[in-house]
Amino acid sequence: MRPLNVMRRLLPLIALLAAPLAAAPRGDEAAARATILQRFEAALHADVATLDRLLADDLEYCNFRGTCQTKNEYIGEVRSGVLKYRSIEPVVDRVKLYADTATVLGRVSVTAVRSGEERSVHLLYAGVLAWRDDRWQLTTWASTIIEPQAETKSK
Amino acid sequence: MKMRRTSPRNVPIVIATIAAMTMLCGNSVAKEPAQGETGGEAALRAAELKRFEANVTADARVLGEVLDDGLEYVHSNGELDSKQSFIESLTSGRRDYASTVADIESVRILGAVAIIRGKARVTVIDAGSSRDLHIGYTDVWVWKDHRWQMTAWRSARLPDSPVK
Repeated sequence: MRPLNVMRRLLPLIALLAAPLAAAPRGDEAAARATILQRFEAALHADVATLDRLLADDLEYCNFRGTCQTKNEYIGEVRSGVLKYRSIEPVVDRVKLYADTATVLGRVSVTAVRSGEERSVHLLYAGVLAWRDDRWQLTTWASTIIEPQAETKSK
Repeated sequence: MKMRRTSPRNVPIVIATIAAMTMLCGNSVAKEPAQGETGGEAALRAAELKRFEANVTADARVLGEVLDDGLEYVHSNGELDSKQSFIESLTSGRRDYASTVADIESVRILGAVAIIRGKARVTVIDAGSSRDLHIGYTDVWVWKDHRWQMTAWRSARLPDSPVK
């Protein structure tokens, strides 16, 4: 039997096995990790254009104070300078992929100035990414302080 | 039906094809729930309230069902629990929730992942005395084994929390 005929006979089997691929994620784990790290980098440099691309329009951004912001509110603080990041050291611990969604768990050390007050914190964060417009977008962010604040000083 | 035997020289092609497709399909991606399978927002809210109730009653069976094996539970004081250590802390009495009154503010379902955001008034018994907390929380749920399971919990004490 010629190879072409073999493949023809195997087509139903291939179709059956390939069916779950329709539900496979279009964005992979590496891209999800990269998105999280890029968004930290963009926040550090107040790169509003990149933040706008990486943050989903329906973002719920809940900081360690328990306050939640929309995408516009968060970017607005970064753009205006109300929130200025001095340093961000992120670690992505776990990424779990679903069809068009990914959950990301990790740690991050942040030093930032908000309304003139500088604060350094160590956080455990949870993020949810949604695959939209051919890229991962952060749609949920929540974090909790895991150590007492390193320092607080008013400027 | 008339069947023909595959020529021995084609066997490697057959094996390679099946192996390749099996590898492709054997990825670690969780499946999307079928439409309507998850019960929507109402089912998720019910699971959340059931979980809070199980915290108070230290019901290990219910918690075993509603918590994901990969749970990362970060308390508002920064303590980190796994599923196993969280359930053990409740059943041993080391952690004692006297009551929890939750106000769910937002529920979003994105396929097999769901996010609940809300506030809760929690009373914990610590060394014989009660302490009242007011927290903001976000938790992430995943659809696995035909039920919602919480896989991440993040919370923070709100400015008006009696215990800061």
